[in-house]
Amino acid sequence: MASSNAVFLIILVLAAAVFSFSAQRLVRFLRLGQGTHRFDALPRRIVNLLTIGFGQTKILRDPVAGTLHALVFWGFVVLQLGAIEILVAGVVPAFSYADLLPVPVYRLFLLTQDVTSLAVLVAVSVLLYRRLVVKPRRLQGDQVHGGDAILILSLIAALMVTLLLTSGAERVTAARAPAIVQPFAAALAIVLSRMPDSLLSALHGVSWWSHALLILVFLNYLPYSKHLHVIVSLPNTFLSNTSGPGTIGTMKAMDLDAETEQFGASDVTHLSWKNLLDGYACTECGRCTAACPANMTGKPLSPRKIVINTRQRLSEVAPSLVGADDPMSALPMHTGPRDDTDSGARDRRLLDHYITEDELWACTSCRACVYECPVSIDQLEIINELRRNLVLTESRFPEEIQPAFESMERNGTPWAFPASDRAKWAEGLDIPTLAELLERNERADVLYWVGCMGSFDERAQKTTVAFARIMKHAGVRFAILGQEEACHGDPARRMGNEYLYQILAKQAIETLDRYRVTTIVTACPHCFHQIGNEFPQLGGHYEVIHHSTYIEQLLADGRIALADPVAQRLTVAYHDSCYLGRYNAIYDAPREVLRRSLPVVALVEPPRTRDRGLCCGAGGGRMFMEERIGERINVERKKELLATGADAIAVACPFCMTMLADAGKKLDSSVTVLDVAEVVAQHLAEGVTAVPRDVA
Amino acid sequence: MRIAVCIKRVPDMDVKFRIAGHAKGVDETGLKYDMADFDGYAVEAALQMMEKEGAGEVVVVSLGPDAVQETLRKALSMGATSAIQLKCDEVPFDGFAVASALASELGGATYDLIMFGRMSTDNANGVVGPMVAELLGLPVVTACSKLEIVAGRGTARRELEGGAEFVAFDLPAVVTIDEGIARPRYPSLKGIMAAKKKPLATKPANLPEPRLVIARMDLPPERKAGRIVGEGAAAVPELVRLLQQEAKVLA
Repeated sequence: MASSNAVFLIILVLAAAVFSFSAQRLVRFLRLGQGTHRFDALPRRIVNLLTIGFGQTKILRDPVAGTLHALVFWGFVVLQLGAIEILVAGVVPAFSYADLLPVPVYRLFLLTQDVTSLAVLVAVSVLLYRRLVVKPRRLQGDQVHGGDAILILSLIAALMVTLLLTSGAERVTAARAPAIVQPFAAALAIVLSRMPDSLLSALHGVSWWSHALLILVFLNYLPYSKHLHVIVSLPNTFLSNTSGPGTIGTMKAMDLDAETEQFGASDVTHLSWKNLLDGYACTECGRCTAACPANMTGKPLSPRKIVINTRQRLSEVAPSLVGADDPMSALPMHTGPRDDTDSGARDRRLLDHYITEDELWACTSCRACVYECPVSIDQLEIINELRRNLVLTESRFPEEIQPAFESMERNGTPWAFPASDRAKWAEGLDIPTLAELLERNERADVLYWVGCMGSFDERAQKTTVAFARIMKHAGVRFAILGQEEACHGDPARRMGNEYLYQILAKQAIETLDRYRVTTIVTACPHCFHQIGNEFPQLGGHYEVIHHSTYIEQLLADGRIALADPVAQRLTVAYHDSCYLGRYNAIYDAPREVLRRSLPVVALVEPPRTRDRGLCCGAGGGRMFMEERIGERINVERKKELLATGADAIAVACPFCMTMLADAGKKLDSSVTVLDVAEVVAQHLAEGVTAVPRDVA
Repeated sequence: MRIAVCIKRVPDMDVKFRIAGHAKGVDETGLKYDMADFDGYAVEAALQMMEKEGAGEVVVVSLGPDAVQETLRKALSMGATSAIQLKCDEVPFDGFAVASALASELGGATYDLIMFGRMSTDNANGVVGPMVAELLGLPVVTACSKLEIVAGRGTARRELEGGAEFVAFDLPAVVTIDEGIARPRYPSLKGIMAAKKKPLATKPANLPEPRLVIARMDLPPERKAGRIVGEGAAAVPELVRLLQQEAKVLA
């Protein structure tokens, strides 16, 4: 055995050396990215690692493929212990945990290895069947490396077979434990025991060597395959901010005074190292793309492609940037989408050569891709950084959004409405402005931030009035800013115009601080998210409450008296707003408002609902762009909502309202779209003052 | 090619105007200002010519108080090379006064082309460009919707009712620009940053005594609300009667 131990030791050292080289190379590539701090808030990161990573919570959202993956993953973790024993035994003859561990613990170890290896073998076989025979749509397209997946699955299967054969053969010669702790190896041993000794010994040798060598081959193949995923996923989950730490869904802060001519990203070196690590972590499962509203309606955007392209471009350009000829440049990770005959890697870039404008402008920023990713990749941040470059550095964008930018600059609203008409909806309603209250030396408890849609859009104004009526009815001391309100710039920010955004946001903060505003209510989820979650980046700190939550609280406190419900049974389908739901985890408040205000309501849900809810198509500045390619997202969503058979569709966002109402015209549907505030306002018992519960 | 583009700072037209107390101008409170629309087209057309040529310069000129520097900076952020402010407290209504001040600045330098918007979007006189041409003794083409300069000779397209004419002229010349020639670009942040470092010269405006002043300003009379006479065929006789007797638009 001594000479074979020596041979194995040499192989082991060589394999470790090659792996270490590969790993250092990948780390050098990552360092081409911009800095980002990812070691703060350790408790949150550890929780993410334990739940999303080890708990596989995200991947289990697909119950079939998720369960199979979880089996392979957990099996992988368990089998690492066995792999260490095998590798050590290759160098130190007769090494076994049996000599180190108490008997019961060792037997438990044997049991886990035995059962796990068969379970993994079964799971991998089903996964192979799925890829080769079932061929789910999610696993196609985007130049995915399908062959790579088959290779890796086959490798894992081979690892399991050789492991089981080795254990089985070992049991024939020297069983270290009762058959009950190695049921499958024991079963195999019964078959193998019929073999002549010489053949058995040869089989054991071949299995052991194959298994040990396959482990090393596997390890060294990973850095050059999409299955780098196996190594990077857990660190990526730990380092990600997509489920916190930090406020979820906020766009990356940007210092516009920095001495630079590059704003946003046009190539991988402008992205953060974490964006680049996302490329390493992606195994092209396509959950993001399957959930993407743009993709499912035929637009060229695929969040998976964005991430694959980032990895491809990094692999293409990094070797020449880190200096010295890279001996690995011929290896598979380098396959880019373009042939290598055109201009050199240095003359190309991520934008245009890999990712086109049409892809970037198709994004509704609905966050479904980010939410679905099992390894916490942030596809949206890459899209947003590329959009910033397009607008801030190159001034390239769909021409129809220029009027929106200019109107925000001049009128403080993305639409060409005169700023002087902002509070027109409030005429005759006896709603004070903060300026008027200040003059009278009075104070308001809350500021009602109406928002541009609520102020100017005829349909949204009805929601605005409804919510104002509810607050008046409940005796809330509220005020508006009136003509002093102006757009906070969120649409500009989402469309990549960080410069315009910061001007508007700083003005808004200045106005709010001048009146010492602390609590804000708003009926617009975009205002809600922007002022509450993103203003802190610019020094604006306010408690912002969305009207669905606020009305729910008023109802819960008994501050709203509702008229006896008309004896009419109404079936309502609630449509989740992305910026309320996936951005702010508010799913129940609007539903609760509907339930409480309509004792005879039946709430129905479309198949895509809550955190899986499909976007209305207006987010990410799409509201201001033409939808030229593919089907209309709002029509797609409206069809899903109508399929529930509901009598009415309820929303809690003025943008969703417009999109779904417009879709109704196209679908020739007369099903009404109502804001949750309108539902409550319709049932207010006029003239009755509610007795607050805490008083009654 | 050296191009001068004269631009004016005007109030944003999307607002509802109020007449100021002295009734000789608009109430400026709450107004937002920007480059006049036609001037924006002129700047864009000039920049495209410079970019096409790959050389030359575009100098933007504006007359007015220091607030016009903001408008000049905008043109610089779009890509203009340098800017000149002809400083005065107030922009006179008299186009001849403005043209004289501009001509005394522009005449001293050698420009191949002097460009204007067809008219300012506030006063809409449309006279400053032609007057500058006259004062400098240059040919002028007004309301160009297309402009091409080849080897010191220009061709301009002018839209007519139901047709177009093509005008040929020699440089140097003055042209005034109509809309539709090129959509003004949106300045990138890179352009805005670069504009901060570009030269902006301020000189006193050489204004003669104005010969025109605004005597009075009026808002158009409020439109009366319409009236619904009735519905369907039954309402026709009453409608005809009202149109004849009350509105007096039918005989």
